[in-house]
Amino acid sequence: MSINDQTSMAEPQKEIRQEINDRLKKLQDEVSEFCFQCAKCTSGCEAHKLLELEPHKIMALLKRGLIDEMKNSEIIWTCMSCQKCKERCPQKVAPVDVLMALKNYAVASGIEVPGKYTDMLQSILSLGLLQEPQETMANDGSTKNRESLGLGPVSRPADVNNLMMALSSIAIEKV
Amino acid sequence: MAAREILPVLGVDAVYPEDFSCCGEHVKSVNQLITLYLSARNMAVCEKNGLENIYVPCSDCHLALSETKRVLNGSAELKERINTALASENLKYTGAVTLYHTLDLLHDYIGVEKIKSLVKKPFNGITVATHYGCKTIRPTEVGRPDNAENPQKMEKILTAIGVNTQPYPEKLDCCGASLLANLPETPLTKTGQKLKAIAEQGFAAMVDACPWCHKMYDSKQAKALETVASKSAVPVVNLLQIVGIALGIDKEKLGLNLNSSPAEKIAAEVTAS
Repeated sequence: MSINDQTSMAEPQKEIRQEINDRLKKLQDEVSEFCFQCAKCTSGCEAHKLLELEPHKIMALLKRGLIDEMKNSEIIWTCMSCQKCKERCPQKVAPVDVLMALKNYAVASGIEVPGKYTDMLQSILSLGLLQEPQETMANDGSTKNRESLGLGPVSRPADVNNLMMALSSIAIEKV
Repeated sequence: MAAREILPVLGVDAVYPEDFSCCGEHVKSVNQLITLYLSARNMAVCEKNGLENIYVPCSDCHLALSETKRVLNGSAELKERINTALASENLKYTGAVTLYHTLDLLHDYIGVEKIKSLVKKPFNGITVATHYGCKTIRPTEVGRPDNAENPQKMEKILTAIGVNTQPYPEKLDCCGASLLANLPETPLTKTGQKLKAIAEQGFAAMVDACPWCHKMYDSKQAKALETVASKSAVPVVNLLQIVGIALGIDKEKLGLNLNSSPAEKIAAEVTAS
């Protein structure tokens, strides 16, 4: 569902906006209020070239406090994290970080996490790795793995249970 | 593989500690605290092993670690919270480690002149397109290995080994790999568009400095070209591989036979000695 379908009757959510702004201040030293809608971010946005993401509109909706409308829209999951908006913003704000905050907020409020993110997180919790090392094929058609390439086993957490407990405790906290 | 071969040739001692984990960059969208914890954890593992310098060949990992350093240096409270959780793994993060990306290592630490002096098989002046990777050069605020809008370190390294470069309109374009988790078709189109543009401009190859981008341009090249209806395969090599060839390292040791693109063509472009 696009954002515009949802915002017509919306009420600003000031508390959540404050929470997101506090987080940006703490993690990135950014003040999202400084955005004046020049849309330089959107003009360079890598996702905008193929998808419908318009970073300056995200900034405008944040300023209006229309958070749940963004939370419930899949548009926040189209950012490619290319960091161009952050690099080029004349006001030193970063839609990429706002989108990151919105996605984290969406997950924490229980939306269905899209794509393979749940699998990736599960793998990190159970292995400490994004995935087990995969086999690959050489151009003569033979199959290679770390051992046959002389790389030895991949470095991995010594005690996965300890890692899982540490991650579980940190993951439920707020920034 | 290529990194492990090149480091001893350049006179860098490398050790490979146990106990590393994922850096967490790819789950930052889900929960950024997990990324901060995992990145701090990897640096703490190095601290525990008495290592002061980490060479991080992957731009995504390098950004995750750099950003974590920046955030934890700026917030004593967050650092304390991360360290409380790290204590359950008998680890402690102080922030004492220095990070090196491939560009830092080759251009700043080793130096272009030294690389030039070690070249055994100089290239014959082929012209390649360079691809730095978004996270290699942005955001400047976090401290990146090269300039965000006009990166030049790769061009200087390549010049030293007899390879020419030339600016092209799509140089800073993104491969889109960050969307592989939830919108896998989009990155293939992004990747295909850039490869098509490079082929159209007659470059002999593409040289990348980010393993995650490399996966898109090399491993997924056939599918990416299909999405833009292009039949022109582009040889794609990582910077470490092409430098390794010039240093006289065996191409199989550099993993050139594992590239999916016709990368081995590149190895033939050295001047006959």
